[in-house]
Parts: sequence; C-alpha cells; structure tokens
Amino acid sequence: MLRSSIQKAAKVSRRCVHIGNTNKAAVAKPSAEQTLLEVYIDDKKVLVEPGTTVLQAAALVGVEIPRFCYHERLAIAGNCRMCLVEIEKSPKPVAACAMPVMNGWRVKTNSEMTRKAREGVMEFLLVNHPLDCPICDQGGECDLQDQSMAFGSDRSRFTDIDFSGKRAVEDKDIGPLVKTIMTRCIHCTRCIRFASEVAGVDDLGTTGRGSDMQVGTYIEKMFLSELSGNVIDLCPVGALTSKPYSFTARPWETRKIESIDVLDAVGSNIVVSTRTNEVMRILPLLNEQVNEEWLADKSRFSYDGLKTQRLAFPMVKFDSGELKAVEWEDTLKHAAQALNNANGQIVGIAGPLVDAEALIAFKDLLNKLGSEHVYTENAFPLSGSGIDIRASYLFNSKIVGIEQADLVLLIGTNPRYDAPLINTRIRKSYVHNELDVALIGPKIDLTYDYEHLGNSASTVKDLISGSHPFNKRLAQAKKPLIILGAQQLKRSDGAALLAAVQQLAKKTAEISKVDASWKVFNLLQEAASQVAALDLGYKPGISNLKSLPAKVLYLLGADDSDVLKESIPTDTFVIYQGHHGETGAELADVIFPGVTYTEKQGTYVNTEGRAQQTLNAVTPPGYARTDWKILRALSEIAGKTLEYETLQEVRKRLEEVSPNLTSYGNVQESNFIAQATELSKSVKNNLESKPIDLKLKKLEDYFMTDVISRSSVTMSKCIQAVLKQKQNKYYDGVEK
Amino acid sequence: MERVLLVYEKILRKIGLEKFGNLIEIIRINDGPVNSLKKLTYYDDLKKGTLVGTDEFGNRYYNNNYYFFGRNRWVEYADHVGFNYDGSQVPPEWYGWLHYKTDYLPENDPTRPNYPWVLKPSENLTGTKAAYMCYSTTKPKIVVWTPQSKQKA
Repeated sequence: MLRSSIQKAAKVSRRCVHIGNTNKAAVAKPSAEQTLLEVYIDDKKVLVEPGTTVLQAAALVGVEIPRFCYHERLAIAGNCRMCLVEIEKSPKPVAACAMPVMNGWRVKTNSEMTRKAREGVMEFLLVNHPLDCPICDQGGECDLQDQSMAFGSDRSRFTDIDFSGKRAVEDKDIGPLVKTIMTRCIHCTRCIRFASEVAGVDDLGTTGRGSDMQVGTYIEKMFLSELSGNVIDLCPVGALTSKPYSFTARPWETRKIESIDVLDAVGSNIVVSTRTNEVMRILPLLNEQVNEEWLADKSRFSYDGLKTQRLAFPMVKFDSGELKAVEWEDTLKHAAQALNNANGQIVGIAGPLVDAEALIAFKDLLNKLGSEHVYTENAFPLSGSGIDIRASYLFNSKIVGIEQADLVLLIGTNPRYDAPLINTRIRKSYVHNELDVALIGPKIDLTYDYEHLGNSASTVKDLISGSHPFNKRLAQAKKPLIILGAQQLKRSDGAALLAAVQQLAKKTAEISKVDASWKVFNLLQEAASQVAALDLGYKPGISNLKSLPAKVLYLLGADDSDVLKESIPTDTFVIYQGHHGETGAELADVIFPGVTYTEKQGTYVNTEGRAQQTLNAVTPPGYARTDWKILRALSEIAGKTLEYETLQEVRKRLEEVSPNLTSYGNVQESNFIAQATELSKSVKNNLESKPIDLKLKKLEDYFMTDVISRSSVTMSKCIQAVLKQKQNKYYDGVEK
Repeated sequence: MERVLLVYEKILRKIGLEKFGNLIEIIRINDGPVNSLKKLTYYDDLKKGTLVGTDEFGNRYYNNNYYFFGRNRWVEYADHVGFNYDGSQVPPEWYGWLHYKTDYLPENDPTRPNYPWVLKPSENLTGTKAAYMCYSTTKPKIVVWTPQSKQKA
C-alpha cells in the first residue's frame, strides 16, 4: 500500500538521480539537447531533463538554495518554504524543491524578492523556535542556526505582547536512542518520511494543523526500528538528538576520524568523533557503494561498549587458579614456552572482529610453530570448490547490484538484522524499482512485503527441479538475485544447501536468460573478519575440539565459538587475545590485551569482498597493543620470528597472499562462478527436512550480537525498551 | 666565650664604636658566633629581645620594642624542626599575640576561651607524605574487566 503511494513522488526523485549523467551525455552529444530543457539559474545556462526541480537544476551549476525539508534521499514535501526563489515573470516566489522547471525559465536565487522571502520564512520559523542554542545539542551543526546567520534578519521583531510565552510542545519518549525536544521542531517532516520510506516503519506522523501541528507517534511508543539513529542526522534542528551523546561534546571540540564499522559484514563507512582520547559518537560517512548515508543503530550506538569490560593488562593464571595482571615480558615468555612445548599441537580460532593484519600474523605464527589448525568461528563447507573460488563466499552482485535487480530470493537470512543497510537497499529497490522479494525461512518482518515460500530447505530442491510454483516467477525475472545467509552453513547439511543454492542460481540464470555479467548467487556474511580470513586460507568453522590435537588453544578474539560451549580439556593451555573480557577470557591461562576497531589501523573485507581500512581514533587503554604486534612479539620470543616489523611490511605480506586485501575501497570482480557451480555437483545432495531457522528474528535479537555490543549499556537499554514496548496494549503485535 | 664577648663589647663602647658594641652584644645574647650564624641562616635575621614565653611545641616567642612595630614580636621555632619550620606550627593562642590581635600573652588573656573539646592544633602537612589527597570524583574513561576465571572441565 505504501509502495504505490510513494511511487509518484519516488518517480520524480528517481529521474533526478539521473540528471548528472544525462547532463554529461548532453555535453558529449549536442543532438540530445532537443529533449532537454534550457534553464537559467542566476543567468547561468543549464540543460536538464524534464521533471527536474528548480533546486536540482540550481545544484547542477553549483548554486545551493537553502532548505530544511528537502532531502535527496526522501520524497519531496515542500512544506518548509525556505527554498523560495524568484522566477522571472512570476508574481510570487516559488518553492524551488517542489517546482519542476519549464523551458526558458530564468531563476533568480539572490534577488531582492528571494532574499525578502527567505528572511520572512526565517522570521516565522524563529518566532516558534526557542532561543536555547547554548544548551542545545545541535549547536554548531544546526541548519537553522547556520541559515539564520546567512539568510535571516539582523534584528528581531518578536515581542510577546500578551506575555503568553512562545509555542511549547511536550517532549515524546520514543526510546533510549533518540531524544526529542519537540519545542525545537520546525515541522520539516524529514523524520516522518525517513521512517515510512527508508526504515519502513510507519511509526511517526503528525497530529493537529497550523501552529498546533505536532510530530510524534500519536500514542506514546518506541520508534521500533534498527535504523532509528538516522533521524538524528536528518533532523535539521535540535528536535531529535542522540540520547547517549546528549550534553557530552560540541562538534567543534571533537576530532573526526574516518573509519569502518565492523559490527556486521556490510563494512559501513563511519566517522568516529573523539575528544580527550574517548570515543564521543559515531556517525555515518557517505559511501554510495556501501551504506549511502545511513548507519544501523548497533554500529552507531554501541560505542559505549568500547569502554567497558576491556582487557587492559596482560594476565597470567597462577597456580591458585587466579588471573593476575603481570608484565608483558613475563606473559609473552609464559605463552611462548607453552607454544614451544606443544610440538605443533596448537589450535587457533579467530573471532568475528579480527582485522586482516592480525589474521595473517596469526596464521603465519601458527604455521611456523608447526600447526595447520587455524580456524574461523563461522562455518563454510569445504566440499565442492570450498574456499578456493571466492565467488562462492562473496556477495557477488555487490550491494549496489540490488538496485538493478527485479527479484530477490532470500534463503535463510534476515537482512533486516543481519545487515540492516543491505535491507535498506532491498527496500529502496522494492519501493522505487518494483523489486519483488521471496523468502525461504521463518516468517519475519522485513519492512516490505515478500512472498513466503515456507521454511523448509527442500524448497530449494523443488525449485531446482522446476516443480515449485515460484519457478514461474524466477523464469520471468530479468535480473534475479539469490541471497543465502552464511549462518545456514552451520547446519549439518550446510554443504548440501550451499551446493543446492549454487545450482539453483545457475538454473535461474539459465531460465531467465540473464546477461553473462549478472551474478545471481550471493552469500550474505555475518562477521566482518570472515571474508578476509577465507581469502587468507583459514579453515572455516570449528566444531569438535576433541578430534584435534590441542595442547594449546589460541583464541584470537573468539568468544562465540561452539568449541567454548563444550568442555575444554584441563590439560589444554588456553591463550586468549582480544579486547573484551568474556567467554574466551574466562577460560584463558594467558590473556593478551588487544585493541578494538577504533584503536587500530586494520584491514577488513566486507561481504562483497571490498577491502577497507579502519584508522586509529583513540589510543588503546592500559597496556593493550595492536594485535599483529603482539603476535609479532610472541613469535620472536618463541624463536620463530615473523619476517615483518612494520604495518607496511605486514600489508606487503597480505598482498603476497591475496592482492585484493590491500586494494582499499575496491571490489575485485569475482569470477569462476560456473566452475564453482560445476564443482558443487560433487557434493551429495542430501538436504535435511529440518526447517531453516534464523538467529536474529526480532528487533530485540538484533542489538547484542558480538563482544562490543554485548558490553554496551545502550544496547541493553534498547532491548529492554523493545521488550517493554511489546508489553504495551497498543502494540500491533504481529512480528509481521 | 660569653665573658670574652662582654669584654670586647665594653671596650668597643668605650672607644666610641657603639654600633660594633651592639653587634657583639647581639652575638653574645644569641649564644656566640656559631649559633648566631645558624640563626642567621635559618631566619635571615639576628635580633636581641626578651623571651616572653614558650609554647607546648618548643617554639620561643620574643619581644623587643626597640624594633619598629611589625618587627618587635617574633618567633624562633623549636630546634628539632630545623629548616622545616612553617607558620602553621604556631598554635592559635600565640598567633593572636604574634599578629597584634591582642597584647595579652596567652596565659593571661581573659578573653581566650578554653573548651575541653578543642582539638590540639596541627601544622599544615601540604607537600609532605601525610598531606590530604582528595579521591577522584571523575568516572574512569575505561572500565577494565575483572577476571572471573571459569574452571575447565
């Protein structure tokens, strides 16, 4: 229902997205000029497609028109009136954001009439806006503040002649992440449009009209979305601000470091704001290829987890069974002795947040010590082509590829919580591009409609054989995508499922006659370290420790491994290296304090295979050190010195193993899909009847999935708030 | 020694060198040249005066109205403190006399209350090991994990 209502607005904006390209084309081919409209912005000529708005046309020639309600990624509302401009021969100023240009228009963005119109709008806005900038969290990054300086009047005519006070609106409680100060709201409705269009949660709306208009949830309830933090960035004033960040820092005091988020496998680009060596907040960084300008709540708000439960000192377990902080030198010697005494009977497990530099040092060290048992936590079957062909473990069509697709089949994954920003892409395509979605797995709320094909793995078999009714849709699709969740590979029939999905992808490509360059098969990873680990030749997934010769168990940030849930033999010496004290550290005989993603320069490869790097934002706490440096020091003391000493040398080594790991920002095209599919035929196709289940089904499952978010107080508040909301009698209940 | 100094003093006065006589007198009153040099190093000053009293800590209080107001009452600190003397070692009852709040000596001051619950005065300990240190009221930026070791099976 929503889809159709938005489509009209969406079509306008979609056309606009293409303007940039068309304009370039127009320069190259003058013949195309006939279809284009000729507009003059401040006497500068610009050629645009029909349907372009005045504001967009002005942007093409570098004229920025002030605005509050207009946003490139949202539907046009045209209610703030800040973008009024004069058009020659028009008696009244027009709203530039909502007015499509006509041929030959002469727009004046700096005329007397335009300036007076802006000044008037600004005056009305300020009459109803509190002058509390000194105590407002938006101060310094507020559009209203900036634009009143640039376009407002230099004096006020506001006098409260009735002494009735300014407009005041009661604040709303919409959860533990977004703080509302509704008196500051200027009714731009960006938050409402974001919630209904991008987040797909129709929780926000307006009540009343005129000066009684209020933005809110009508009844008091939580803004139940995994993307709620984005409304803070969207709000042009201080009406919606961050609750955890409130009153902690000013934007001009903070240092901003551009980095990468590692809490899911999307690899969202982020800006880490720090002050006095402390992470104050995390904001999204624009990257059209990955996260656009959004960021998921876990990535944005779990930074307080970086400050609690930290391992800050090297520790050794004494004979009394007590872990005590000791010097680095003693700890390293103790561990080196255990490693040398193990005669190569060492098992290493790398966790989900480890960077590629640490991964290569870890693997090299264990190999030098005579062990080949280096595992990742997450599973991936080694049958068929295994990890030899990258195409079988990557999101081959890339995240932007979703925008071209017309059919997405999700198998055993809930992108809404596994990778929220991939879900926003799917939803974007669903709303704007008529994308259809189908799902094999339990019924979940994906924020858009989808065809549910049941939760049995055998459905995949039916689809391959062509006996399933959905085959018709697959055949009609021009650009189908199949997205398999990596969590399903942990199933006992994971290998068979992967092989079946690969074959289904091949068959789909054949019956729908897709272009050879279009990649149907996609694997959605969950851990930020997984792709880099597989690129480096780690063995994926460890299930049974007892079957391995393990005198020493070396855990590199591994806390969620199944191995740890079983019993570890008493004579196994456990080394834990990581940044948070949890399951792994509790079992350890030796603890090496490592660093989190905000404290190191590290390489991560996202689910598409895109290598990106984090940068140091703060210094590590206490005696914690960069992980690869710890491993390098340990190798020297153990007498198996690794041949690299600087970051450049480690990266050179990474490049030797897999050159894509140091090609930052790029995705190496994945090839040999046909060969991988061919090899997968050798896998026995014995899919079990066991239904496909998902790890993260509901919003409350989403917030705590790794050591950092599990240590975060904000995240636990979120879970409490969601659970409380579900108790509410007005909660519409259906986890759709 | 004292007798020798007295002889010198008299001779000097007799031949008219009054000021040198005064010098020798001050040295004599301050227990000879060695002690005089010591006091000069401690207090950068050497005076003669009448000892008007001693407090419980061993500080000695002098008065000599020959000197101008402001310099006519002074304290010589107890010998055991050496260079580590400090204004706060003067107890409150002598503080008043020393700073001209009163002309009464502590023992005959009628206005001075004498409550049984008044604590014994103590000197300012800033800069010493016993100095008062306030505990930190700011939250630590990083909360470090405290080990709860689990037993392996």
